[in-house]
Amino acid sequence: MPELTLIVVLVIALALIFDFTNGFHDTANAMATPIATGAMKPKVAVMVAAVLNLIGAFLSTEVARTISGGMIKEGEDGILITPELIFAGLIGAIVWNLITWLRGLPSSSSHALFGGLIGATVIGVGFQAVDYDVVMAKVILPAIIAPIIVGVVAFIATRLAYAVTRREVGRPDGRGGFRYAQVFSSSLVALAHGTNDAQKTMGVITLTLIASGYQTVGTGPEFWVIASCALAIAIGTYTGGWRIIQTMGRGLTDVKPAQGFAAETSTAATILASSHLGFALSTTQVASGSVIGSGLGRRGSTVRWGMAGHIALGWVLTLPAAGIMGAFAAGLALLGPVGIVLDVIIGSIVVAGIYWWSRSSRVTHHHLLHDIDDAGHVVRITKTPRKPARRDRKKVAL
Amino acid sequence: MIDWLAFVVVAGASLISSALIVTLYSLGLRLMTSAGRSPVVGPAEFTGAITVLTPKRAAKEAKRTRKALAANPLTDDQKKLALVGAYACFALCVGAVLFGVYLIVPALHGG
Repeated sequence: MPELTLIVVLVIALALIFDFTNGFHDTANAMATPIATGAMKPKVAVMVAAVLNLIGAFLSTEVARTISGGMIKEGEDGILITPELIFAGLIGAIVWNLITWLRGLPSSSSHALFGGLIGATVIGVGFQAVDYDVVMAKVILPAIIAPIIVGVVAFIATRLAYAVTRREVGRPDGRGGFRYAQVFSSSLVALAHGTNDAQKTMGVITLTLIASGYQTVGTGPEFWVIASCALAIAIGTYTGGWRIIQTMGRGLTDVKPAQGFAAETSTAATILASSHLGFALSTTQVASGSVIGSGLGRRGSTVRWGMAGHIALGWVLTLPAAGIMGAFAAGLALLGPVGIVLDVIIGSIVVAGIYWWSRSSRVTHHHLLHDIDDAGHVVRITKTPRKPARRDRKKVAL
Repeated sequence: MIDWLAFVVVAGASLISSALIVTLYSLGLRLMTSAGRSPVVGPAEFTGAITVLTPKRAAKEAKRTRKALAANPLTDDQKKLALVGAYACFALCVGAVLFGVYLIVPALHGG
């Protein structure tokens, strides 16, 4: 069936493009802080991030199995979802991603992907085709719980880091040494990103292969799928890095090395643990949670609730909004080949339109460094007093 | 159906590993400083701030840090001990990270 093959190839290509944009989007999560603190040279940081994303993608396949094997139910005669529907879901996810990017809304490419797939499945097959238990247990609950967990962990870790390296007046406290640690902690974040985000695409491609009968139900991703997804995310990460370098020094959140190290360690630990258990997290949300948590761990911090609400709203909106886009695209795709062509045309028009609009100088660094930076602004930190506290002065006098 | 235990595992694992890694590294830094070898080339007063230093300024700061560290209440033996302790902390920290990665990659322990 040549027609079937064509659509499968199309879906795989689209999935890899999605993977590329994911890497492109998220380099900042891992590498913005070490570049900003001068811990790593930009070129080196971007290269390291790309390589570690590549390695990370090979480390585990649990998340991919969650998507390919759990989320969409199998019918009586095998799996019910068709490549056309996956295609529609991907279009929905990509379009929503671009809209949020343009509007500077915090969102999650992972949730856009799930939303699009679920929306497309519901329209194409029906509500009964989605396994809501799996969606709840492995997507929605982790989405809510993981940022909270990582926030608390980052808060404690930041407190610990500051407590252990307490400042003695008149002597250096060595806190600048956290800059070197950040080289490793941010590398771990890049690795963790590869283990979670690259696998989402692997899951989608595997789901497509299963749906079109190339692979048996319940099997994990093939090696070439893993390799191509790893490569796509690594190239995306590398390309995305240049954008960060260009926008450096234009108002990044004030993250201090000790805080940054604590935040990155917590992010990496949480994502790696979750990947291991097959939770499909949004790495951006986890990173945001840890930036907020670690900010609160610093002295003199207050929360800007308005900003926090803005971010939370973006997160909540993503799944249903991408779902609606995916459902719309699926509605068209059900018309047959004509619908698919229509999908491609409409998708291309939206992408081209957004690209054109973004060129007309409306994009600021706010769009480019996006979500994590927003998260950093949730916590307001008053400047630490330069004068030593009374008890410290006494200590010196003694 | 919802595996609440898994969330507890994630929370526990990330808390323990982050706290361990951060504490070990911080302790290493502190011992290093006590030993009179501040690992930093950086400002002595605003150690936390994000500043991309020019080489000239960094050299100046390094000099200042050395000066501040010159007055050290510890004896030479104590300094040596602190330094050994610092390296031990860094080594343990790296070990903890590697162990974590080992646990996660099924290919490494045949599971």
